[in-house]
Amino acid sequence: MIGFLAHRLGDMLAILIVVAVMVFVVVRVLPGDPATILVGDNASPEAAALMRETLGLDEPIPVQFLIWARNLLRGDLGQSIFLGEPVLTVLAQRAEPTLFLTLMAVMISVLIALPAGIVAAVFRNTVIDRAVLAFAMMIASVPSFWLGLIFISTFAVAHPWFPVSGYGAPGASLAERLHCLVLPALVLGLIKSALITRFTRSSMLDVLHEDFILTCRAKGLGEWAVIMKHALRSAFIPILTIIGLGLALLLGGAIVTETVFALPGVGNLVVSAVLRRDYPVIQGALLVIASVYVIVNVAIDLLYALVDPRVRLR
Amino acid sequence: MSMRTKFLRLALLGSVVASLGLDPALAQEPKRGGTITVATVGEPTTLDPMVTTADLVGAITMHVFETLYTFGDGLTIVPLLAESDPIITDGGKTYTIKLRQGVKFHDGSVMTSADVLASFDRWKAVADRGKTAWSYLTSVTAPDAHTIELKLKEPYAPLLALLSLNNNAAAIMPASNQANPMTKYIGTGPYTIKERRPDQFVVLARFPDYTPRSDKPTGYGGRRTAYIDEIRYVPVPDPNTRVEGSLSGQYDYADSLPVAAMPRLQGQKEVTPVLQKNFGYPTISINNKGGLLTNMTLRQALFAAVNNEDMLKAAFGSTEFYTLSGSLYPEGFRFHTKEGIEAFNQNNPAKARELAAKAGYKGEPIRFLTTTQFDHFYKIALVATETWRKAGFNIDLQVVDWGTLLTRRNNPALYEMSTVGAPFLAEPSLTFTAGSERPGWWSSEAKDRVVGAFNAESDPAKRAAMFGQVQKLIYAEVPYIKVGDYNVLRAKSNRLQGVIPSSWSYFWNAWVDK
Repeated sequence: MIGFLAHRLGDMLAILIVVAVMVFVVVRVLPGDPATILVGDNASPEAAALMRETLGLDEPIPVQFLIWARNLLRGDLGQSIFLGEPVLTVLAQRAEPTLFLTLMAVMISVLIALPAGIVAAVFRNTVIDRAVLAFAMMIASVPSFWLGLIFISTFAVAHPWFPVSGYGAPGASLAERLHCLVLPALVLGLIKSALITRFTRSSMLDVLHEDFILTCRAKGLGEWAVIMKHALRSAFIPILTIIGLGLALLLGGAIVTETVFALPGVGNLVVSAVLRRDYPVIQGALLVIASVYVIVNVAIDLLYALVDPRVRLR
Repeated sequence: MSMRTKFLRLALLGSVVASLGLDPALAQEPKRGGTITVATVGEPTTLDPMVTTADLVGAITMHVFETLYTFGDGLTIVPLLAESDPIITDGGKTYTIKLRQGVKFHDGSVMTSADVLASFDRWKAVADRGKTAWSYLTSVTAPDAHTIELKLKEPYAPLLALLSLNNNAAAIMPASNQANPMTKYIGTGPYTIKERRPDQFVVLARFPDYTPRSDKPTGYGGRRTAYIDEIRYVPVPDPNTRVEGSLSGQYDYADSLPVAAMPRLQGQKEVTPVLQKNFGYPTISINNKGGLLTNMTLRQALFAAVNNEDMLKAAFGSTEFYTLSGSLYPEGFRFHTKEGIEAFNQNNPAKARELAAKAGYKGEPIRFLTTTQFDHFYKIALVATETWRKAGFNIDLQVVDWGTLLTRRNNPALYEMSTVGAPFLAEPSLTFTAGSERPGWWSSEAKDRVVGAFNAESDPAKRAAMFGQVQKLIYAEVPYIKVGDYNVLRAKSNRLQGVIPSSWSYFWNAWVDK
């Protein structure tokens, strides 16, 4: 177990170094620079050049990289060019809506997908199965921005049960903030549920054909116990992988949904940072997102061992 | 009082109001208090009013920071922190400006000429418009605590407009708070910055010790009263979400809505669509400094081919939202003139081919930059490109993001044309189109003569008359192509009263009807 963790930690470090270098290079190779954007579209090239100097962007790129890497080793991700705050502070502010949104969305998707997938598998090739699959296919094909707008006009405008956008007024309580996340979480949860439903169904179908299920039935276990206790547990590993990957992906920010609902989350931050070329924020955010991805993957590997005693961590 | 006399009195009062020609809604007394939420197109890039020309930044910070002068009705220039119009002597080379006395900053200190001098220094160091002004100024001094004196190398009429603008603004801040980058936001405005949480909100709160002018409101000038307690600017990048939020009542004011939303906003009980006429004009900016289009005949050839009506229709839909007008200023503006506009909207591919041949054009690629980030720019570019291709031009349309476009536009080696927008500024010389130091880099012997004379004349009436010559020259030399005028659609909740439609929306003198 400890060996496994040390090994994965080493992997993680290597991945992060590669990510750091790549992110830095890609960001600097992009045309456009923050200085021109900061001084505005009616300013002269001279004003932009002066701003570049103020921001330290006139240094050669290798020098800038070394400065950044040195600060990184001290745990300093730098200062946002546009927001006037350290990147870590900015990221911490964005973590809350993204984290809650992710958890709510994953919960919703699992609550929909697991029962739907199991029912579809148990009643395979019946009308129920086809209805579930058709619905999943339809939901998976719907663009999230469209679903978001439909939900807004239905549940925030026609029936004003939820706010249209934002993450609460200044001083909003946690309950008020969570209230703002219900609609976006529903959008994301529904869309994510499509894939999990299909995976649950196929994974269950594979298991239901196994000999041990026959044995379970032969020794007189009830159908409910066979499906929920024996089949589902064995079928769960691929399902868990899909849920975990979805979780990691959402933690990196649900870009479109966050934009439609004007949520100050990580996805929104990355998009606006890229559009205004806020180099320190792009670099810092991508590094943190990459770390989260790696950590979630390690966590899923650990969960495998809990779910399936045959899996041994080495 | 019996019911009957009460009724009679009310009826009488009603007829008095009616006979005065007052709309009962307008006759309402402004009320103090309340909070409004304003949905903006995005997060402001900074809250320092000096460093950027971005409209969004200027529109927010002008509630917090004030300038010596500002724009009154009809874009006239009126005093704000200055007490009165400047005294101009020495043939237009000396401006003596009296400051208002007892004006308080948000930190409680009182404004003096020392603060103005320090702010002018900062403006010169960090603001592009400041640099422009200082290229004409030889000295700024303070004869006493409430007077400043500006001396110029040569007469330069746009100076007062430069001192009035809210973006790249010559904002007055305390001499003790001039840090760059700005850390504390201390101005003299009717509102203070209470809290900023990026991508979530910027909250402005009433400044209780605000020192208003006593003259009646005119445009952005005159008496400013902060009736509303708090103004919350929230960035809502998705235009459709801004529409929905206006309909639901979450936003009291929403900027820049898709024109297709007009029917949904009409006939609502809680919200009114606001059409801001003549908001600005998109242009096809031309690089006059490097590349193919330094050749004026080739510029004229491209110009002969364009069909402005098609471009406007594609970009803005119906004539409710655009005006096909070649005048560089719309009707009602001081600089409106029809001089030279017969060359506008020629739609003449045959003439274009002829001119192109004369220019020696052999099908070299013409690089045209545009972006999908502003939908109307992209549509204009698509239509223009097709029109030009049909007329035999080899257009290399490069669709990039706005950040890339802005950077490439600064390098004359990288492009021939780009789509950009322009507001109707009170001073024509301040638009990028006329400056030889800005992307576009229009420069010619005739320009030096005509624009030079226009800038040296300080009499507003004479300048208005002289602008005809400037416009005529622009249509002759084609330093850029004006597409047309457009209106912008906004939404206002009916509880928000007293908002005067203007290019940069402001909320002093407005109130909330509870």
